[in-house]
Amino acid sequence: MQTRITRRNFLALAGSLSVTGMLAACAVPGQAPAATGGDGMAQETIVIEFLGSPGMDAHLEDEYQRFREENPGLEWIQVQQQQGIQLLTAIASGTAPDTARVESNVYRTFVRDEVLMDITDYIDADSQFSQPDYWLQPQESDRCTQNGRWYGIGSCWVAPHIYYNADIFEAEGIEPPSNDPEQAWEWDHFLTVARQLTVDTNGNHPGDPGFDIESVDRWGVNWPTWWIPLHAAVQSNGGAWVDGETQQIVLDSPEAVQALQNIADLQLVHQVMPQAPFLEALGMSTVQMLENQKLAMQIDGSWALAWTWEMNATLGTAALPKMKRPATDLQAHLVTIVSDTDIPDESWELIRFLSSPWYQERYCNLGLWLPSQSALMTDEAIDRWMGPPIHPPGYKGIVTQFVPDYGHFLTMPVGYQKAADTVLQPAFDTIWIGDQTAEEAMKVVPDANAVLAEEAMRG
Amino acid sequence: MSGLTVAARNAATRLRAPRTQKTLTGYLFIAPFILGFFLWFLVPALTALWLVFQDWNLIRSPVFIGLGNLRKLVDDSLFTKSLIVTTYFTVVSVPLQLILAFLLALLLNAQVRGIAFFRTVFYLPSIVPVVANAVMWAFIFNPEFGLLTPLLRALGLPRILWFQDPAWAMPAMILMSLWGLGGAMVIYLAGLQGIPDSLFEAADIDGATRWSKLLYITIPLMSPVIFFNLIIGLIGSFQIFTAGYLITSGGPQNATLFYVLYTYRTAIEYLDMGYAAVLSWILFFILLVLSLLIFRYVGRYVHYEDVDA
Repeated sequence: MQTRITRRNFLALAGSLSVTGMLAACAVPGQAPAATGGDGMAQETIVIEFLGSPGMDAHLEDEYQRFREENPGLEWIQVQQQQGIQLLTAIASGTAPDTARVESNVYRTFVRDEVLMDITDYIDADSQFSQPDYWLQPQESDRCTQNGRWYGIGSCWVAPHIYYNADIFEAEGIEPPSNDPEQAWEWDHFLTVARQLTVDTNGNHPGDPGFDIESVDRWGVNWPTWWIPLHAAVQSNGGAWVDGETQQIVLDSPEAVQALQNIADLQLVHQVMPQAPFLEALGMSTVQMLENQKLAMQIDGSWALAWTWEMNATLGTAALPKMKRPATDLQAHLVTIVSDTDIPDESWELIRFLSSPWYQERYCNLGLWLPSQSALMTDEAIDRWMGPPIHPPGYKGIVTQFVPDYGHFLTMPVGYQKAADTVLQPAFDTIWIGDQTAEEAMKVVPDANAVLAEEAMRG
Repeated sequence: MSGLTVAARNAATRLRAPRTQKTLTGYLFIAPFILGFFLWFLVPALTALWLVFQDWNLIRSPVFIGLGNLRKLVDDSLFTKSLIVTTYFTVVSVPLQLILAFLLALLLNAQVRGIAFFRTVFYLPSIVPVVANAVMWAFIFNPEFGLLTPLLRALGLPRILWFQDPAWAMPAMILMSLWGLGGAMVIYLAGLQGIPDSLFEAADIDGATRWSKLLYITIPLMSPVIFFNLIIGLIGSFQIFTAGYLITSGGPQNATLFYVLYTYRTAIEYLDMGYAAVLSWILFFILLVLSLLIFRYVGRYVHYEDVDA
């Protein structure tokens, strides 16, 4: 049977459907209706915002399932999150989630502004989390506590170290660097090797007569000039980025200045490093450069192991070279409960789940994370989650020595992002192209501290 | 009760009246724009005006600070820097785009075999997604592996650190912007095809040269289109954001800290919504004043064919 419809009715119907569709599309995501369990009891749905990373999506279903089994009547949903901005806009628009992952650079600002719930009592009451050796200490307390109170728990640790193409070292007959931080290369030796490994298309090395920097066939090293690898260098030279006591930026100390200059000199003086910080944005990733022997050593975060292990060459890893002492930067985001939540107890169950050894081990196993929990540091646990093909031989030295014994967490005080963007970064830019020495450039540090003071006043 | 029924019936009769129905239909058709204007322009604009006088970090409740946000402008060197950077970009890129797009349109207005193919080829870059465009140009300008590096070497020129050297970052951005002039070109092309052939035929009979025809027929008749592209180009270039955000992050040394990028950072990264609102309103007034000045001083040279009709 054919139904006749007038043009006016058709338009009215189409208009109604469009409006309905628009309203449906505008419904707030994440506010899923409460599911009803088989026993007729209403179940809460906990919404969590989660920074997406490679491999994580594939794990989600298992994680949802396990959480359901461990916490009957509870569910959780992961929402992709962009650097905490989404959390703030959700709070501002009255649609805050119950729990969220928060980046370390905004964590203290969020604590100051009471965005995050104090979870100290939950931790103290927990039979596992209250154990003094549950986490690697004192780094965990350093990053999580503000005035002795906990507002989040670190997801894991990540730390920069050396990645190298072992085939190049073998072909050149050079002993590669070690994963054992006690055996870390002295800075001068690192420079010597980097020089040997840097070669132009005519076979000349930096310092040789006729070396042509315009036609380098293979670079010795790439030490990226963003804050995580730079902080590792500063710590290695005995300096600090931010003073732990005063919470002031101290990059104008002689140790920090020398460390920054050492990194700049890799390009400007020793000519062993490319002046192209946009490699990753080009599709020419450093993995490809290592693989194609255009680069011998890359300094990158431990997270990069999750994809670097797949390169078609023999991958090696090592502790960073030391200027004065072996050192690396420790960093990671934190899982937190948002203050506005109506279901703090249920939210805590989720935070607890996301901070469990079972959960952390999954991502350690992928090469994305390093453990922050002692349970994953035993020989038995390491044998379980670490090994080929992802983790290269000797990586245990990074996990059990370099990270826990030589890792330094960088606490970023309130207003740090603004101080870094508006004052520090433009000054750094002048160092890498040789417009200013590190000492000249770091004269802006008092200006950066003035920004911190101004931002602290806003609280 | 019966009074109500009568009133309802009268209302229904009025609704059925052809004139009322036409009015309702009219409103229905313009409703998407009106609703959009109110919801996505007027309400946010008025909210931004209110925010000018508040200190708000998105988290805590806004606090009234009077003219505090306006006073920040005085000491803010990045406000001045971003304004200079954006003006530099606009002053160079807009005239270049206007001229090159016009010349390209003249070329593609020729009656040659396969012209549709060439028009498509020249238009295609302007529909490439902006992120893909940025990645491609970052690759082209890369000093180690970029496509331009061997070309410069072949010409005996030194390697240029396009996005690392503050002196070269802006020229690189301007070159990038020219890649997307296909949109303006198509508008010119449409304008060129609207010029009656009879005018050129008459000029041919009078023995006019190509140059004379361009100067005395094409350009005057195209002046409304040139004017349109000028205004749109100006507004667009003052609002440039993506390239600076994706490729250089405003650097090096703030050489590509475009005004909108600075506004975005102030709001979203530094969580200073009140000051970001001030910056937004200043941009609005800059564009308003510039547009009015252009209408007043450039508009008088625009030739509208049907003005005296």
